[in-house]
Amino acid sequence: MRDGLGYLFTLEWAVYVGGALFMELVWRPLQRHVPPQQTGVLCNSMGRRYRWLALACLVAMAATGAAWQLDGGGLAAWRAGGLAAAWGSLVALVAGMGLLVHPRSHARLQPGEDRAALRRRRQRAIKVMDVMLRAELAVALLGALVAVWPHGSAPGPAI
Amino acid sequence: MTATWVSVLAAYLHLLAVATYVGGSIAMELILGPAQRFVPPAQAQILAQKSADRFLVLVWSSLALLPASGMLLFFSLSDQSLVTSGGIFSTGAGRTLLAMMALWAVLVANGAVITFVLRPRLASRTSASGGRAAAGAQLQAMSRAATWVSRLTRVDLVVALVVVLLGASLAYGNGIL
Repeated sequence: MRDGLGYLFTLEWAVYVGGALFMELVWRPLQRHVPPQQTGVLCNSMGRRYRWLALACLVAMAATGAAWQLDGGGLAAWRAGGLAAAWGSLVALVAGMGLLVHPRSHARLQPGEDRAALRRRRQRAIKVMDVMLRAELAVALLGALVAVWPHGSAPGPAI
Repeated sequence: MTATWVSVLAAYLHLLAVATYVGGSIAMELILGPAQRFVPPAQAQILAQKSADRFLVLVWSSLALLPASGMLLFFSLSDQSLVTSGGIFSTGAGRTLLAMMALWAVLVANGAVITFVLRPRLASRTSASGGRAAAGAQLQAMSRAATWVSRLTRVDLVVALVVVLLGASLAYGNGIL
């Protein structure tokens, strides 16, 4: 049971961090080779999928982490607190990106609004999105460091 | 104290390598792959080529980092008699470690086939100089190479998931083999 939970937690964490690294190291530089209109289409599709994948990983991490603690986990308080804070920050960032910032980056023309204003509004949202994506990656990497810190083992609660 | 720092660093790098490989493969398969349907085929081909170029750099970096950080982690944490006194064959942890190394070799072999055999075929340009039949044959070869890249990528993903399972069983216990 504990091995299984540890495996699942490691896997969920790996998928999450790997996805964030992929977006930063593969997708972001790739955008230079794609025409702006197609970048918008791709961002829309990828953003939707990434949001669901990230949220699924976060929900699964919470479930397996809680199950592990209930199974007699015994994490040090500072580590449990650090992991919970990282998890909470990631949920807030993913929800903020998915529900607020991402839709704004694909906003439509409002009545009485000119195209230049719409473009500025979209560009502001894209800049905020960039900052949030980097913050998400930094928090995920920091959370992983908290997880491996005391024993130098796997990132799960079952270390 | 030094051993603790070394083991923390090794564990962190090991996990980053695993995350980059597994998470990156899943992102490639489930996020970027399906999104390519929404752009024109010519653009999708450029996108696939450029993303694969970049992703292969990450893949090879991860594959290089995995054994280096894994060995550092093993020697900073484990009882070294596991490898010196034949424990690698007679204990569960040893057999699990051996299986992980064998599967890593499979990932390297598949990565080499994709990078050095299949990708150059995909990157080659069709030429009209040999006539329509030759161009058709070349297109067919490219299509076959694309199919094999896709198959091998999926095999790699499954193998990597098994490696994570084995690694987790070592981290949380004494291996599962």
